[in-house]
Amino acid sequence: MDILRTPTDLAQRGHGGVGESASRPDGVLKVTGEFAYASDLWARDMLWGHTLRSPHAHAEIVSVDTTEALSVPGVHAVLTHADLPAATHYGLEIPDQPVLAGDVVRYHGEPVALVAADHPETARRAAARIRVEYAELPLVTDESTATAPGAPVLHPNRSDHYADRVPHPNVVHHQPVRRGDLAAAKARAEVVVTGEYELGMQDQAPLGPESGLAVPAEDGGVDLYVATQWLHVDREQLAPVLGLPRELVRLTLSGVGGAFGAREDLSMQAHACLLALRTGRPVKMVYSRDESFVGHVHRHPARLRYEHGATRDGRLVYVRGRIVLDGGAYASSSPAVVGNAASLGLGPYVCDTVDIEALALYTNNPPCGAMRGFGAVQACFAYESQMDRLAAELGMDPVSLRQLNAMSQGATMPTGQPVDAPAPVAELLRLVRDRPLPPPRQWETAVGTGTGFDLRALPGGLSNTTRGEGVVRGVGYAVGIKNVGFSEGYDDYSTARVRLEVVNGEPVVLVHTAMAEVGQGGVTVQAQIARTELGVAKVVLHPADTRVGSAGSTSASRQTYMTGGAVRNTCLLVREEVLRLGRERLGDTHPGWRGDGLWLRDGAVVTAGGEVLADLAQVLGDDVIDLEREFRHRPTEPLDPENGQGFGHVQYSFCAHRAVVEVDAELGLVKVVELAAAQDVGRAMNPQAVVGQIHGGSVQGLGLAVMEEIVVADGARVRNPSFTDYLIPTILDTPTMPVDVLELADEHAPYGLRGIGEAPTLSSTPAVVAAIRAATGLALRRVPVRPEHLTGT
Amino acid sequence: MRTLRYQRPEGVEAAVSAVNATPGARYLGGGTNLVDLMKLGVETPDLLVDVSGLPHHDIEELPGGGVRIGAAVRNSDLAADPLVRTRYPVVSQALLAGASDQLRNVATVGGNLLQRTRCLYFQDAGKPCNKRAPGTGCPAIEGVHRNLAILGASPHCVATHPSDLAVALAALDAQVLVEGGTGPREIPLTELHRLPGDRPERDTVLEHGDLITHVRLPAAPEAVNSAYRKARDRASFAFALSSVGAALEVRDGLVHRVRLALGGVAPKPWRARAAEERLRGAPATPEAFTRAVEAELSVAEPLRDNAFKVPLTRHLAVRVLCDLAGRAGGPR
Ligand SMILES: Cc1cc2nc3c(=O)[nH]c(=O)nc-3n(C[C@H](O)[C@H](O)[C@H](O)COP(=O)(O)OP(=O)(O)OC[C@H]3O[C@@H](n4cnc5c(N)ncnc54)[C@H](O)[C@@H]3O)c2cc1C
Ligand code: SF4
Repeated sequence: MDILRTPTDLAQRGHGGVGESASRPDGVLKVTGEFAYASDLWARDMLWGHTLRSPHAHAEIVSVDTTEALSVPGVHAVLTHADLPAATHYGLEIPDQPVLAGDVVRYHGEPVALVAADHPETARRAAARIRVEYAELPLVTDESTATAPGAPVLHPNRSDHYADRVPHPNVVHHQPVRRGDLAAAKARAEVVVTGEYELGMQDQAPLGPESGLAVPAEDGGVDLYVATQWLHVDREQLAPVLGLPRELVRLTLSGVGGAFGAREDLSMQAHACLLALRTGRPVKMVYSRDESFVGHVHRHPARLRYEHGATRDGRLVYVRGRIVLDGGAYASSSPAVVGNAASLGLGPYVCDTVDIEALALYTNNPPCGAMRGFGAVQACFAYESQMDRLAAELGMDPVSLRQLNAMSQGATMPTGQPVDAPAPVAELLRLVRDRPLPPPRQWETAVGTGTGFDLRALPGGLSNTTRGEGVVRGVGYAVGIKNVGFSEGYDDYSTARVRLEVVNGEPVVLVHTAMAEVGQGGVTVQAQIARTELGVAKVVLHPADTRVGSAGSTSASRQTYMTGGAVRNTCLLVREEVLRLGRERLGDTHPGWRGDGLWLRDGAVVTAGGEVLADLAQVLGDDVIDLEREFRHRPTEPLDPENGQGFGHVQYSFCAHRAVVEVDAELGLVKVVELAAAQDVGRAMNPQAVVGQIHGGSVQGLGLAVMEEIVVADGARVRNPSFTDYLIPTILDTPTMPVDVLELADEHAPYGLRGIGEAPTLSSTPAVVAAIRAATGLALRRVPVRPEHLTGT
Repeated sequence: MRTLRYQRPEGVEAAVSAVNATPGARYLGGGTNLVDLMKLGVETPDLLVDVSGLPHHDIEELPGGGVRIGAAVRNSDLAADPLVRTRYPVVSQALLAGASDQLRNVATVGGNLLQRTRCLYFQDAGKPCNKRAPGTGCPAIEGVHRNLAILGASPHCVATHPSDLAVALAALDAQVLVEGGTGPREIPLTELHRLPGDRPERDTVLEHGDLITHVRLPAAPEAVNSAYRKARDRASFAFALSSVGAALEVRDGLVHRVRLALGGVAPKPWRARAAEERLRGAPATPEAFTRAVEAELSVAEPLRDNAFKVPLTRHLAVRVLCDLAGRAGGPR
């Protein structure tokens, strides 16, 4: 079988150990357009799959008639719920999502039937000829409709482990975090500010649509090539659905065009495999852009209510919060989002009395799940808006107020968990505050335009909207806290296989993990680690697949920590084996072999003092060292269901932003002039990649602040499923982004590093909005802030 | 399975007769709007007649100072044309404020004028929409409409026309040259697009088979002092929430000649004649500009979520006029 493979088996010779800005092995391929993404997969004789989706957000399926579709020439199979061979539901944590809808559809765009045909257009047209009769049901769209007396229960007979402790069956999960004596604290508070906040539904907007190719195998199993975030969790969900033992479900990562959480849940995986097994032919599925917008989960929209009590001199006395997240039709990762929102809902501050509850609803809105910073993003917008209100109420400088209350190492979280690693919150704020401000009215001084002003530096950009009349500057600050890795007692691990051998006289390291490279640069870091630990220039990365143990998810800022940690640990074991073999074979040749602190450098074993003892070729000969090992972070424990107490998180990550905006309120235009960030990364494994992550996260937060929103209307339907109508920042909307990086080691983590991918997404949004508030004096309780919120009516 | 035929004739007559003979035929310019709508199932032509082979690629100076622009001229070429840039900067600016470099490189003048509304319901073949499926209703009135019309709408349709270029051309009294098989005719651009009334399915006065061959810009000395400004949801690559194209000549502190058109606020490029009327002979002051624009907008009938367009458009128009009058700033 010819299968066009994505070149994930990337070889890199050369330079760049830990701490250096090694270049990405896939960088040139991507920039030159040669990198093959999952949508480029191809196999001889392959069929194309298409999904028929529900036009209603809540309806009973009265009947399905596939006769006409099956009669379309070129159609090889049509599948409905009735054709499912084994398990009918799946889910990341709670298997509540039907593979294909059975009696009822719960959201607009839910998969109802599948077609495989010899051409994608044939499949699409045949799908349109499947006759489905629906009887529409009343909609559940928000907290009041979800919990009203007599509200339709979207998932009756729940048996998941949250079912017994939720206040209503339309609540997926509910987590209070309570600490301290609220009544006493309220009595002590001299100043109280309350506020209600709202966040719209953000989309991950990955450029690569959901795609993959399922190939039936002679042993009755299936090989799936797919763009995903976690191969093994896909397999865990697929095997029961396909009715196959795990070993017969083999996955290989294909080129991933962005993820940001959108690929954490299954999309087309089960569908393509079912069609492939049914037809005996390879089946490719690629979502169109509009299908992609309904085919993956989004960021939970949220409504938050906060009450902050403080003393006159600015010390927080108590914080109360209620965070309502809309999880949409299926659970996805709602429980984890709730846990994050509740446990991080205070922000990176110290306060002895906290009463925060977070919950996620089941509704008929599009399902929401993982997206960069999940749970923590929503909370951060609200608590940081509150800190600004409190500062205003107290007449204090907003940065000083934050610094006064900032947590540091040794503090206690509202969950009771001690913060046992550096937490330089006040310092991060100082770094962004102390930066010189960008010069005002830069459009007048921009050089090279010849026109006397540079449109690009003005609100409205190339729209030629303003000449700078009435443009007002505002500055805003925010800081956030995000957990790294999987929390609340989850047995989170990664696996790495490392093989060392000598080929043509040159030592070569093969690193094999199942880590999904989704653009974060994990492949670069893995090679850097192998080079550093094994002193070998040539490192080959095996394609990520399920032949090696799980790497866990590329999410929760965890892969450099977890798979980086696994690669390092396995490399250390390989090194020990090299030294053991060396002592055994060459120990008599040099007294240095008996010393401590031997290491590997430039393809040789060297002493602590740097003296070369032997080449790896001499030590290994024709032997191959090939080890596979798991790596775990320190254990955590579940949060208490009543008060949220517990050692819930592995590690925290902190980032602060200062946003400088220029606003033309009359025209409703915002130009973010500069978005400065400061982040503690523990150890900058690859400084260039660190800055790239901080830039990317900052811009994604900016997008949420001023433009990104999935419009859900007209019966819970996604109304803007295109990049013409769902706006993400262009390069012209992207400000200058100076970055300060702190490297304060976390002794619990490999190399002292901290997961960095998500933290910059948190504080960027509230910092931008704070700056717009400072420029306009408007309250701005909701993001995204649009022109109409600034112009008034 | 539907089949789609494609032709690329080299003569106008062949193109027009091909479309006239086929009720389901469409002209194809750059395809940046038509092909998108085909993918969405909104347009389902069975014949595409590509007009890029027709001899309409030139921008020519006319005796008397006007300019004639071929309908197949690419948006980027028109924006960059030295004659257009110096005599009619509003045209060049309007084009550059729209879409993206890549789109402008393929989009044509004819296609730009005839692009369809960006109303979300119009683009969703699964929803009712009087413009797409006459008689099915207008969900936008109660639904998502922040980007839709405040002027000229009807209870049957509140869509806006999305073209920036058309706004500039409306301000300049451009003429559209049309060939429909019975000899060429000229239609003033301001009369090309229709208000919806009770026939929102008809965007323009053109009949099936009518081919736009050219656009003629009459001489307009005041257009040397013209400008286009646009407000939108991001700094580039988005449609107008509101836009203004204007030209102004001031003599002795009084408005001598003025042209003003509004975009993103009505089903057609909105020539602001009431404002122009008030301005002629009036002092070229921010106050007079404001009063004139307010008069134009006094007939606005905003919907639930688009009332912000009224102040937005007022501010934008006053700013452009102040700018052209050489006065800094507008009233606060
Ligand atoms: C992401 C995006 C952003 C955009 N942003 C903007 C924006 O900000 N401002 C803006 O103004 N536009 C914008 N556009 C729209 C773009 O300008 C139009 O799609 C383009 O101008 C259409 O030109 P075309 O030649 O590709 O037309 P086509 O798609 O080829 O045709 C459009 C229509 O015109 C008809 N037609 C074409 N030529 C002729 C002719 N000679 N005679 C008769 N009928 C003809 C076709 O039959 C069709 O009905 C945007 C488009 C996209 C996709
Ligand atoms: S505004 Fe016009 S285009 Fe939009 S839904 Fe109504 S009828 Fe259709």
